[in-house]
Amino acid sequence: MTLAATTIDSGILEELRAIVEEHDAVLTSKSSRLNRARVPAPFPVHRWEEFVPDAVVLPRTAQQVSEIVKLANRTKVPIVPRAGGTGLADGAVPLRGGIVVDVKRMDQIKEVDLGNNTVTVGPGINMQTLNRQLVRHGVMFPDDPASYACALVGGRIGTSGFSLLGSRYGHTRDLVISFEIVLPTGEIIEVGDGGGRKVRKSSTGYHLKHLFMGHQGTLGIVTEATLELVPRAEVEFAAFFLFEDFDTAYRTHRLLACSGLATLAGVMLFDSEKVAYLRRDDEAYIEQPDWVQAVAAASLYGTRAEVEPASKIVMELGRSLGGKYIGDEISSGDWSARHDRYANPLHGRARDGQVVPMSWHCEDAAVPYSELPAVREKWHAIASRYVEQYEIFDDWGMFAYTNGAHKPWGDVLAEIDMGLWEERLDEAGWQAFISLKREIAQTVLDHGGSMTACHGATRAGDAELVPQEMGGGWDVMMGIKRLLDPNNIMNPGKQSLDRAYE
Amino acid sequence: MEREMSEVDQTQSDGHSRPSASTAGGSGNGGHLAEVEQAFVDRWHDNAYGCFSSGHKFCREVCPVTQVTRNENHTPTAFHSNVVALEKGLIEVEDVADDYVHCTQCGACELRCPNTIMVGDFYRARTETVKVVRAMRALMVDKGLDREGWKIWNRLTDALKNEPVLGVEGDHPNGQEHVRDWADGLDIPTGGETIMFVDCEAAFYRTSIPRATAQLLQLAGVEFGLMQEQWCCGGPAAEMGYIEQSRAFAEHNVADWRAIGAKRIIAIEPHDYVHFTEDYPAYFGEDFDFEVVQIIDLVAELIRDGRIELKHPIDRVVTYHDPCRLNKRKGIHEAPREILRAIPGLTFKDVDHVTQWSYCSGGGGGLPIEKPEITAEISRRRLEKASELEVDMLVSACVWSERPLSAAGAEQGIEVRDIIELVAESAGIEIGGSTRGDSQPVGSAES
Repeated sequence: MTLAATTIDSGILEELRAIVEEHDAVLTSKSSRLNRARVPAPFPVHRWEEFVPDAVVLPRTAQQVSEIVKLANRTKVPIVPRAGGTGLADGAVPLRGGIVVDVKRMDQIKEVDLGNNTVTVGPGINMQTLNRQLVRHGVMFPDDPASYACALVGGRIGTSGFSLLGSRYGHTRDLVISFEIVLPTGEIIEVGDGGGRKVRKSSTGYHLKHLFMGHQGTLGIVTEATLELVPRAEVEFAAFFLFEDFDTAYRTHRLLACSGLATLAGVMLFDSEKVAYLRRDDEAYIEQPDWVQAVAAASLYGTRAEVEPASKIVMELGRSLGGKYIGDEISSGDWSARHDRYANPLHGRARDGQVVPMSWHCEDAAVPYSELPAVREKWHAIASRYVEQYEIFDDWGMFAYTNGAHKPWGDVLAEIDMGLWEERLDEAGWQAFISLKREIAQTVLDHGGSMTACHGATRAGDAELVPQEMGGGWDVMMGIKRLLDPNNIMNPGKQSLDRAYE
Repeated sequence: MEREMSEVDQTQSDGHSRPSASTAGGSGNGGHLAEVEQAFVDRWHDNAYGCFSSGHKFCREVCPVTQVTRNENHTPTAFHSNVVALEKGLIEVEDVADDYVHCTQCGACELRCPNTIMVGDFYRARTETVKVVRAMRALMVDKGLDREGWKIWNRLTDALKNEPVLGVEGDHPNGQEHVRDWADGLDIPTGGETIMFVDCEAAFYRTSIPRATAQLLQLAGVEFGLMQEQWCCGGPAAEMGYIEQSRAFAEHNVADWRAIGAKRIIAIEPHDYVHFTEDYPAYFGEDFDFEVVQIIDLVAELIRDGRIELKHPIDRVVTYHDPCRLNKRKGIHEAPREILRAIPGLTFKDVDHVTQWSYCSGGGGGLPIEKPEITAEISRRRLEKASELEVDMLVSACVWSERPLSAAGAEQGIEVRDIIELVAESAGIEIGGSTRGDSQPVGSAES
C-alpha cells in the first residue's frame, strides 16, 4: 500500500509557503515525509507510515519559526522540531503527524567573539563543521558525542547531550551559555542562567536555560545558541588497560575517576560481554589474549605542562590493581576512532550465528557507581531472556563512562547495547523490544538511577516510566507543559506529557 | 587503493551469509513491484538495510549537495531508505526521481560511512551509494521518468558522438569533425600502442589541457597517438542512467582501440579514468585487457625520472583542489601534491585530502545540467575555502571541475588552473588553445 498523500489542510500549506517564501521550503512529497519519520534508534519499520509527518518546513530565521509555530498553535496542528535526526531515542520522531520544522538551513556561524570566548550559531550547524572553522582561532567547542560528525547543535540542546570529553569540559548543558527559543505559542525568548547572552552564571531569576535544556522538542524550537569556546588542547592522551575480570576493571575505574586530575576528560569501562562482542564482531578490534575480560581506560586533555605528569599518574593507577597497559598505538588509535567506533554496531548475529544488519539500541542510563555491578548483572539477565526467546535480539555488552561534568567520580553513564534485527520486525517483535526497554529502565530506577543520561525518555518503554522517575516533580513538570503549551502542539505524545491535558 | 567496482554488475555482492531479500521476510512486498523495480530492490536490498538499520548519517555533512540544500531528501541516507520504502510499496519511482538528481557521485558518503570505515571488509558490507544513485537513474530512464535536461543532453550526445559541451542551443560546433581541432599544429599521429584519450570538455572547451598534456608527453619522449574516431567515453551517460547509450559508446571506443593496436590508454581526465577502470571492465569482463593510466600518475613519474624538467618558476601562491574522482573514488592524492611541490617558485598551501572529502566543484554526475544553481553554489563555497588560505590560484586536476570553479573564482579574484597546464608552463611549453571554449589563449581567461 503506497503512502497516502498528505491530508493537511491546503490553507495551512498556503500559509506556510507565505511564511518561508522559498519554493522548496515547504515539502509534502512522500519521500520528504518518509525520510523525516525516523532516527537511528530502532524503528518499527513495519509501521513506518504511522510516523510520517503531514508536511515539512525548512525555515531560515527565528521569525519564520515563530510564525510557523503561531500558525500551528492557532490551527492546533502538531509540530515536531528536527535538527540532525541522529538521536538514539525518539525525540525527533513524529507520533501524531503534523508539521516537522527541520532546522538544517539555520546553520550559520553568526558571531565568533574571541574576547568573551563565545560563538553564536544557528541550531542546524554540526560540531565538526563548526570546529573546522574555529581551528584558525585556536579555540574549539568541545561538545564531543559519538555522533560528533553528524549531530547538530539544535538536537544537542533538545536532548541535553553527553560529551565524551564531559569530565574535562562539561556536557552540552554546560557548554551552551544561552539560547534563543520559540515558545509553543510563538514568542521568541532568550534563556540563559539569567539575562545576558554571554553570561555564564547568574542569580537574578529562575535558571530558565536549565528548564529548556533537554526539552525534547516539547517546549519549543531552538533558533540560535551561544556556545562556549575553550582553548584548543595542546595535548591529548589516552590509555587503555586490560583485566582478567570485570571487578578489577571496575575498581580501577574508580581509582582513575578519583585521581583528582583536572585534565581528566573521561574514564571508561568495558565489561566482559562488551569485550566478547568486540572480539567477535568488530573489525577494528585488535586481537587480545583470551584472558582479557574487561577494559578500563582514561583520557586527558590540556596543556603539555599538565598532561605529561598527569599521564604518569594515570599509568600508575591503571596498573595498580594488575591492569595491563595495551600499548601506545592501540590506545591512541582506539581513542581517535571513538566517533566511528560508537557507530559501528551495525551488524550482529542472529541466534544461529549468521551475520545480519542490526539496528542499535543504546540504553543510556545514569547509574550511581556503587550500583553498577548489580545493575549490570540484572541487565544481562534480562537481555539473555529476550535473546533466547526472540530471534531478533543480540546482546552487545555494557559500557560505562564517567557522567558528571568536571566531576568524574560518582554516577556513570551506563549503556547496555542491544542489536535489533529490524528487517525481521513484526508487531510481536516490536512489542517485545518495548517490553525489554521497560525492564532495563525499571532496573535502573530500582537502583536509584535515571533511565536516560542523554538520549531522552521519548520512546515507548521509557516514556511511561517518566512519572515514576520524576516522582513529586512530575506534577510540576505537567504544570509547566500546560502553561507553556496550552494546546499540546509541541511534539505531542512524548514522555507521557499527554497526561497533562487529561 | 583501487576499489572493486562494476557499475552495471547485477549480481548479488558475495560474501554475505545473510539471507537473501526473498527469504528475509518482513519485506511487506506483496507483488506490487514491476519487474524492473523488483530487480532493483533485489539487487540493493542488503546494501540499503546496512544503512537503514544504523541510519547514523555520518555522510550528511560531507555531502557537497546536502551542504548546500540542507534537505534531508538529498542525503545518502535517504537514497538508501527509499530502497526500503520502494520495497515496502510506500513509494514509487516517480516520488523520488527528483531527489536522485541531487548527487555529484563524488563518493564522499561511501568513504565517511561507518560501515565502510569500521566493518566494511570484515562483513563485506561497504556501503555503495554511487551505484545506487546510478541504478535509480537507470530505473528512471526505463520508466520514462528521466529529467528533461538530461534527455536533451544525451540525445545530442548520441547524435554528435560527443557531449554538447559548447551548448545545447542552436548550432553545435562540436562533433566528430571537430574532435581533433585542439591538436592543430601538434603533429600527433593516429594509432599506436599508447593512446591519449581526450574527453569532451577538454577536446572542445578547455583545449589548453589536451594541448599541454600532448606537448609534455612529446617533450618527455612518450610515444602516443590519437584514436581514429574518438567518441565520448560514455561515462556521463552512465552517470545519468543511460546505460545502453553508455555501452554503445564503450563498444565503439574499444573497437577503435583494437583496430589501431592500442594496448595502453592514457586518461587525461578523472571521469574517464573511473569509467575505463570500472564501467568498461564491467561491460566487457575479462576481454577488457587494456592498461589504463591516469595522467597525473604518469606526469609525476616523468618528473621524478627527470624526463620532464621544470625550470621556469611560477611565482604564485596556490592551493590544490582534490578532484572527487581522483581523491575520493580512486585514492589518487599524493601524485598531484608531489607535482606541485616540484614546480619552482610555487608557494603551495595544502589542505589534506581527508578534509577535502567534503569539498567538491559540483561539476559531476550531471548535476550542472539539471541543477546549475547548486553546482554554482558548491563551487562558490569551494573558492571561499581557498580564499581563506589567502592564495591567488586554485589548481585542479579535473577539467569538469574547472568550468564551475573558474566562474566562482572570477567573482573572488582567484584564478583556476589545471595542474598539467602549470607543469607545461614550468617546462617552458607554449601551450596554446583555450580555457573557455573560445579562442582565448591560456592564462588570460580568468581573473
